[in-house]
This record gives sequence, C-alpha cells and structure tokens, in this order.
Amino acid sequence: MLELHNAALRLGDAPLFSDLSFAVAAGEVLTLMGPSGCGKSSLLAWLLGALPPAFSATGELWLGGQRVDGLPIEARQIGILFQDDLLFPHLSVLQNLLLAMPPGPAAQRRERAGQLLAEVGLAGLAERDPATLSGGQRARAGLLRALLAEPRALLLDEPFSKLDMALRGPYRQFVFAQLAARGIPAVLVTHDPGDVPPGGRVLQLADYQESAHV
Amino acid sequence: MGQCRQCLPGALAIAGMAVVFLPVLPGLLPLAQGLELAVWRGLLADAQTLVALRVTVISSVVSTLLALLLALLLTMALYPGPRWPALQRRLPALLAMPHAAFAIGAFFLLAPSGWLARWLAPLAGWDVPPDWQTVRDPYGLSLGLLLAVKEAIFLLWMLAAVLQEGALQRQMTLARSLGYGRWQVWWLCLLPQVLPRLGWPLLAVLAYGVSVVDVALILGPGSPPSLAVLAWRWLADPELALQARGAAASWLLLLVFLLLCGCGLLLWRLLRAAWRQPHGRRWAGASWQPRWLAWPLLGFCYLLALALLLWSLAGPWFFPAALPQSWTLAGWQQLDTAPLFTSLGLGLASAGIGLALVLLWLECGPPALSRWLYLPLILPALPLAAGQYHALLMAGLAGSGFGVVWSHLLWVVPYMLLTLYKPYLEFDTRMITLARSLGLSHWQRCWRIKWPLLLRPILAALAIGFAVSIAQYLPTLFAGGGRFATVTTEAVALSSGGNRRVLAVQAMLQLVLPMLMFALATLLGQWAGRHRQGWR
Repeated sequence: MLELHNAALRLGDAPLFSDLSFAVAAGEVLTLMGPSGCGKSSLLAWLLGALPPAFSATGELWLGGQRVDGLPIEARQIGILFQDDLLFPHLSVLQNLLLAMPPGPAAQRRERAGQLLAEVGLAGLAERDPATLSGGQRARAGLLRALLAEPRALLLDEPFSKLDMALRGPYRQFVFAQLAARGIPAVLVTHDPGDVPPGGRVLQLADYQESAHV
Repeated sequence: MGQCRQCLPGALAIAGMAVVFLPVLPGLLPLAQGLELAVWRGLLADAQTLVALRVTVISSVVSTLLALLLALLLTMALYPGPRWPALQRRLPALLAMPHAAFAIGAFFLLAPSGWLARWLAPLAGWDVPPDWQTVRDPYGLSLGLLLAVKEAIFLLWMLAAVLQEGALQRQMTLARSLGYGRWQVWWLCLLPQVLPRLGWPLLAVLAYGVSVVDVALILGPGSPPSLAVLAWRWLADPELALQARGAAASWLLLLVFLLLCGCGLLLWRLLRAAWRQPHGRRWAGASWQPRWLAWPLLGFCYLLALALLLWSLAGPWFFPAALPQSWTLAGWQQLDTAPLFTSLGLGLASAGIGLALVLLWLECGPPALSRWLYLPLILPALPLAAGQYHALLMAGLAGSGFGVVWSHLLWVVPYMLLTLYKPYLEFDTRMITLARSLGLSHWQRCWRIKWPLLLRPILAALAIGFAVSIAQYLPTLFAGGGRFATVTTEAVALSSGGNRRVLAVQAMLQLVLPMLMFALATLLGQWAGRHRQGWR
C-alpha cells in the first residue's frame, strides 16, 4: 500500500499543485495524466526521492505503514521504469539482473535469474550484451531488473512511449500482470489513454489543480 | 567536414598538417645513434641514470594515479549536484595556468621557507626554516604530488565532457532506486563506463609526467634530476658522446612510458574483472557526500597564485614573518619586457597559424586521419622536441623565429583541434543545407554562416592555442637554439637563482598572459552576441 497525504509541489515560487492525496493498493496501478508541465513527472521524481533542486515539495509519503519521504532514494525500496530501459551497457543481461537481486549464494542467484529470464521469454539471452537485444527484449529485461530488487512500490515514467505499436500492447499486459502477481502498488505517468490498465483509476492532475482552486 | 568537393583545399589541408607533423620523423633519425649497444652501456654505467630513472618512475606514477584519484573523488562527491557545474565554471581559468607558473607558486607556498611554513612558524616556534624536504626531495615525490594536483584539473575537465550525457545521471537515479548508495553506484555502474573514456587523457597525463622538464627543474631533485632533465642536458651538451647518451636516454624514456602504459592496461584488466560478478550486497550508510571536497583543491590553486603576487611585490621579507616587512614595485618597474613581447608574438603567431590549419583541416581534411594529429599529446615531448631541433638544423632554420613557431605548432594544433572538433561535429547541418539552397558557395557558407556561429568555440580554441604556446619550454629552447627568451624560459631559468621577487614577476607574467587571452575571448564572444539572444 502506497499512500500520499497532502502533497504540494512548487517550481521556484510557482505552485504546480497542492493538497494532493491518494492511496494505491497492493497490485493496483494508478495512472497520472495531464498536460506537459502540470508536474506529474516531478511528482514521480519526488516519490522516488530524486526531485530536482529547482522544485520544492511538502507532504507525506507512506509505504506499508512506514513514512519514507525523508529517506534517500536507496533506502525507499521504490523501483522505477523510465522511457529508456537504461540497462547498464557495461554489464551483460544476467549481470544487470544480478546487480538488482538481494545478496545470497552465487549459484542460487544465477539459477533464479536464469529461471525468471526463461519465464519472460528471454531464455538463452543471459550472457548477451544488452545493446544487441531488440527493443521489446530490453524492455522486458528492464522490468525484470526493477522487480528483482524486490521493491515495495514501482513508478512507471512513460515506460511504453518509446516502444513501437506492435510491442506496446503485449508489454503493457506483461507489466500489469507481473505487478498484480507480486502485489506491488504502482503509479503510472503517461500521455496515452491507451496505457491505462482495464478498470484502473486515473487521476487528471490538471483537473485536480483546477478543482482544488474552485 | 568532408563537404569540400574540390581537391585543392583538401590537398592544402593535408599539406599544412604535413608541414607541421612530418619533418619530425627525419629529425628523429639522429636519435638512432642512441640505439647502439656501447652507448647503452655508457648510459647504464653512469651513476646518475638509475637514480634519475627512479625519480621519473615515482613522479610520473604518483602524478598519474593520484591525479586520477583526486579527479574521481571530486567528481563522485559533487556529481550530480549543484556544486558540479559551479566547479566546472572554475576549471578553464585553472587549466590556463601554465605548469611552470603553477610549480613556482607551489614552491613559494610549500618550500621550507615558503608561505605555509611562515604561517606555522609562530605555532611551531621556528626562527629558521625547518630542515624538511617539502619540495625537491630526492625521490621526486613532491614533484609527483604537485603534478597530480595540476593534472587532476585537466582530468576533471575531461570528466565534465563525459558527464554531460543525461543517460549517466538517469542511470545513477535508477541504480539508487535498486538500493545502492551513491558511492557504490559510482563504483559499480558509472566508473566502468567513465574510466575507458579517460584512457587517452590518462595517457597524456602519463606522457607529460614522464617527459616534463620545466616543472622537474623547479620542483624535482637537483642531482641527479629526473631522467627527462638528464636526457635534455646530455642532448644539449657539445660533446658528441654525451649527445649520444642523451639520445639513448630519450629512448629509455619512451621505453619507460610504454612499460607504464602496459602496467596501466593490466591494472584496468584487473579492475574490470572485479566488476564481473555483481554480488548484490548493498553497503550501508554509503550516501555520505562531502560537498566541500572541491575547496582544498581550489583553495590551493588560489593561494599559490596569491603567493606569486605577494612575492612579486615584496620588499625585504625575513623568514618567520607572515607578510613582507615592506612593499615595493621595483620588481615590476625594473622588468625586462623583451621576454614578454617575445612570448606574446610567438603565442599570437602560433595560435593564428594553428587556427587557420585546424579550420582548413576540419572543413576539407580527411576526418579518418584526425586521430593521428593527437599523437603529440600522448607521446613524451622530449624526443619530439629533439627531433624537431634536428629537422630545423637540416633545413638551416634552427634559431629562427619561424622555427620556434613551427615547433610550438606540434602541440598547439592538437589542442586546438581537440577544442574545436566537437562543436564542429555538432554543428546543425541543416543550416548549411539552407545556406546552399540560398546559393552560397562553400567559402561563403563558412565565412557568413558557420564560422560566425562557431565564434565562441573558435575564440576558445585561439585562447587555448595561445596558452599552449606560452607554456612551451623544451621546444622553445631546442628550436630557438637558446636565443629566444620567453616568460617561460626566463621563469624556469630564474627558479634556480636567489632573487624571488624577479622570479615571482616572471611567473606572474606567465600566469597572466593566458588568463588575459581567455578573458578577452570570453568578452569578445559576449560582445558579439549582445544583440542576438539565440546565439550565446
């Protein structure tokens, strides 16, 4: 369960939005939409703990009953998927996954990573250079890496927008299925209404701002 | 690049570069006498050789590794963050500081009778300078340490270019979201990507450390000196046997350089193996970020410049006093201005000719050959300067102003090319397409569109070419046959004497000349763009 209480975000002196609250249940995907510059990506950055210094934010972020908004990124256990897969180019696919996994006996970790790769249709690609993978394969490996870090919540920053149309639908379903299966709450930022999961809640950030002003 | 369809300008570009680079090769032939076995026996039998070799190995290894460590530590502490761009803005001024002036300033600051010791004297109860070897120690450690500080600035500048890419910053955020603190992210994710890109700059730092003469004369041990100084003295000796020994020492220098390169490569292999198996352990409490880390480096550089200024204005100044007993302008009033104007002339001529050659090359030269033009930056300078001297002797041009300018170009051109290459590459080619559709010829396009738009990088390249020329010591001595006294040769010559005020004045001049040129380049760039908001 991810909870946001009374969040307000400012860029310099200009308020972007204020008094925003929501809760996302385990396995649920909440979609944030709104025009460019409404602050949705900055909100995501704040949830992650990487708000650029030009912005300032107030509010409380709770994860599973623990307040985390004062913690640095690395202590929050919140994962992120960007537009680009950002697989580390100096590591193989397997090494990228091993980096994300919690420590443990080496053989066991490798076995588990290999098993998961096979489950998502990437069997046999473990030792490959990420740069030689197709866009769809890289996207799946990227998600797998985020999930292997065992995050308590996942942020999705337009992760489907760079994939071509044929890959988008299957990858979307794949992401939502993985999140649901693991019971991870997720916040999705997108411009494309087609990205919203079936029956998912949508928060229009610009509308929200307007209604808050009324 | 490569837009030029005519053969003539292309041939001209190649010919221009050939005139700068190729005559060095026949000039290296006389150094072949240093390959004879008997000469090597003489070299190794000389009691100075092995000690000098030790000085060279220690100082160049310390300077290269420590410069890398310093630059990386600072980067890790400040990037990404608001202090990183602030540090970047200060780098060009520090880079423009010539090595010799830096070394003299460091000497004034750190010598047993230097400024720092004078501050400490009341606390330590010193009436006379302490008997410490803070500079010119027989191992070349102080030489290595101070070179490291200067080269760290160069490496930071190179790192700044690498880190401009947004992808690295997003990778940092992503890796932290996986639970790693910023130091561990640097170690696991950024370093393996950044270090290979620092390979060439590191070679340049190593080559400089191995063959540096001016800084070694100021901060290195005296007898025996470093191998480069020894080789240079032998090469300049009238006795033929010693000249041959000098040639052999030049080859030894090259050999040491190659061996150290090999060691560096081996070290990199070992390091890479350590990254092979990510174990997944997260270091606790690894988000400590010492943002103040830049201040010791910057403070040291500012302090040594201040020490130069102070000494250039000091009257009598006896040891334990923290400040001079009285002030005087005598050093500046009695200044011999001839070296100043010689430096100015050589610098302007080299930068001007260098710019013409580099622009012609970028416009018409074959891009595939560009990488060869950087070679002088990653080779020890001593054999090259000696080769230039022999080439000038053969052409009957040794000791001429033309010869000195030509000798500077071998280092001026690659640095100018390095500065202009990227802006040229990134130039929006649509502008050129547009200009062609308006019917402008190739040279009209350059004069009226491309070069005006690239004015700022061009001015920066001019300033850098000028600074490189001002800082040249070995080529000026070799090619000039000792007849050209510049602020650099004067400063180094005075550094062994006793008159600190005169020395400080020359070092200040050496420091101020390139700074003025950088300031001028910046001001001109701003002035040119004063009515054009989209062009700044």
